Amino acid sequence: MTDILGNDLNMQYSLLLPEILLGVTAFLVVFADLFSKELKIGYRLLPLITVAGLVAALAASLIWADTTSDFAMLVTVDSFTTFFRVLFCIVAIVLVIGAHEYIEAHVNHPGEFFALLLLSTAGASFMAGAQDLLTAYLAVEVLSFSLYIAVSLGRNDPRSGEAALKYVLLGGVASAFLLYGLSFIYGVAGSTQYADISAALGGDLSDVRGSLVLGLVLIVAGLGFKASAVPFHMWTPDAYEGAPIPVTAYLSATSKAATFALLLRWFSGPLLPAIDEWQWMIAVLATATMVLGNLVALQQRNIKRLLAYSSIAQVGFMLMALVGISQITAGGLLAHLGGYLITNLAVFVAVIHFYNRTGKEEITDFKGLAQTNPYLALVMTAGLFSLAGMPLLVGFFTKFILFQTVVEADFLWLVVVAVVASTVSLYYYLQVIKQMYLYQPDGDATRWRLTPTGYLSTGALLAAVVVLGLWGTPLYEVADKAAAALFPVA
Amino acid sequence: MIPIENFLVLSGLLFAIGLFGVLSRRSAILILMSVELMLAGVAINFITFASYRDTEAFSGLVFALFVITVAAAEVGLALGIVLRLFRERRTANVDEASSLKW
Amino acid sequence: MFDRLPLPSQFDRTIISGGTVLALGATPVLVVLAALLVVDRISAPEFVFFLAASVLLAGAAGVVLMKNIVHAALCLVVTLLGVAAIYLLLLTEFLALVQVLVYGGGVVILLLFGLMMTNAQDDPVVTDGSQKPFAFGVAALIAGVFIALVLDAHWGSPEASIVPFRDFGARLFRDFSLPVVIVAVLLDIAFTGAFVNARRAEADSAARGEARS
Repeated sequence: MTDILGNDLNMQYSLLLPEILLGVTAFLVVFADLFSKELKIGYRLLPLITVAGLVAALAASLIWADTTSDFAMLVTVDSFTTFFRVLFCIVAIVLVIGAHEYIEAHVNHPGEFFALLLLSTAGASFMAGAQDLLTAYLAVEVLSFSLYIAVSLGRNDPRSGEAALKYVLLGGVASAFLLYGLSFIYGVAGSTQYADISAALGGDLSDVRGSLVLGLVLIVAGLGFKASAVPFHMWTPDAYEGAPIPVTAYLSATSKAATFALLLRWFSGPLLPAIDEWQWMIAVLATATMVLGNLVALQQRNIKRLLAYSSIAQVGFMLMALVGISQITAGGLLAHLGGYLITNLAVFVAVIHFYNRTGKEEITDFKGLAQTNPYLALVMTAGLFSLAGMPLLVGFFTKFILFQTVVEADFLWLVVVAVVASTVSLYYYLQVIKQMYLYQPDGDATRWRLTPTGYLSTGALLAAVVVLGLWGTPLYEVADKAAAALFPVA
Repeated sequence: MIPIENFLVLSGLLFAIGLFGVLSRRSAILILMSVELMLAGVAINFITFASYRDTEAFSGLVFALFVITVAAAEVGLALGIVLRLFRERRTANVDEASSLKW
Repeated sequence: MFDRLPLPSQFDRTIISGGTVLALGATPVLVVLAALLVVDRISAPEFVFFLAASVLLAGAAGVVLMKNIVHAALCLVVTLLGVAAIYLLLLTEFLALVQVLVYGGGVVILLLFGLMMTNAQDDPVVTDGSQKPFAFGVAALIAGVFIALVLDAHWGSPEASIVPFRDFGARLFRDFSLPVVIVAVLLDIAFTGAFVNARRAEADSAARGEARS
């Protein structure tokens, strides 16, 4: 088939198998939920179907691990896409296994929740794979819409609806900014194809330079919002606190990683020729995000808000790699993204199980956790130390690689800021650890155990945090291979 | 013919008016309307560029069509949330929904 | 004066005062534009453009300034119809049609429904936040920057051209077949969202009913 300009279109639908599987599973889950009374199936089947679909999608993504192809010039399937497909599937699997008890007890409409999880995972992998602005924009909206709804699903929690309203209104404004920016990029380049934009921006643009810069500012603002970079982060703490905890985990994991996948694709491809115009914006954003995220995190009392600001701070570190973008920094960023996701999920799954037991989420509620559940306290401690970047844990390894690659790209001053900020972050992580180990539990001091799936998910995450921290080469190699796909050898 | 700048300036004005509405209004529904204004500005921009600078492939027209679709869907989604919040709080004003600090 | 007319008051008060305001505002614009047209400073398409643009911007100003929410919603209709006129001037009849159908027929009705369910009174008046001057400053600054940058650029002097309807369909459903599927999923998601949030009341009360019995 050829398109209107006479280009050949490769309509090989099997390239999109993972997303198709996710979509089909989403509808299966909704139907299973809808007919649960007639078919006599309980809640327990829903997470099972979801995990089965996610595992199938993960397997299907690996089929295309070594190909470089595209679907109708709309979606690229290469090792970069595969990296993120696998990452998103793993995040969703871990969340479903780790949080299904929470979802049953504290989330409205669990069937719809699982369907949204699946569809937004598909949207996120389209964000990583898009090679046309239109696909990218729609993928962003699929992910955002799912998140607006997921935030509103908290059961008997008045904060949930409020957080969703703020999120949806601000998200709509951010989308408008992003779109307005895209329209200027389109106007300057005359095409929505990444390859054409790259070629057009490489040419002489002195006539339309102002409009190009305007477009870039608007795009950075719009995506900065989605990635919750300072000063576009105001929605983050509220949405994080108001949302059900698995949604908070999902917001800080998949949503962030997908935005970075998109940023990497854009800033290493179509927008790379205009690097002089956007480099300073990202540098300012990265510095502000690192400094402010860490400083405000110091004052938080709610564990979800604390993790919200900690994730903002992490975004600052990751933005740093975009400033001096090259294959090496991109590899470092992808490795850190992988390490951050694992670590962050470990902390969140632990918090979810803590909440299942106690129904509390203030930092002071963690008093004496080391006595009532030493295992969970250990998982939390490992996760928090890894987030702070302590040696022997994956967070240290990936952060080290990230900082090193940024130094190599000649942005030493950014790394100095990052190291100072990182040291500050240790303080607020230690506050939580102090509560768990140094204080006696308030009231009920009986020991309690996790559910089997709780042990499975936290155990796997803890193992990953420790093992990848000691021997992180596989993670780095995979990340490096994915980054190589962004910079094809000409 | 009409110069291309006319359309671009018009869309910029519409976008700015919408932004003013978003910043100054308190009622969630009025904020939604203002977001619609901003998106209308975006659509005008896309169509302008499509019919003036991309006459062969006109991707911008398709883009504008999707912008209109997504904007309509967003109104439906957001109104659902507004209605729910109104049931819980008896208010549709954003700043009265403030159990979470900004 | 309205009370002496043999009409139900609310409705025509809006229409009569709205019509008066519209006529008072539109007449000078029309006169100025017609004069410019006669002395050949603007062409006929530009005449239509400036007419549509002034209606559209006046409507937009109404949306963000009106105290009465229903009036603001009616201003939104005016604006969106003006936008459809602009689409026509850009030679895209199909999108103009979509604009009128989707917005005039769908979105505005939806918004009015939302208004009626959240402000159930005859004369729903809202107060705005105190940050109006700040908002105006930001918006004016942004508008200024946008316009300066757009006018600073040299776009050449391209000519708009008509896209045949058949080509548009082929482009949409063949070249961009995947985005059409993604947008279908997106509409599903939006529907789900509206549904789960709007249905909650019954679900909760049903759950409470079960608990009682």
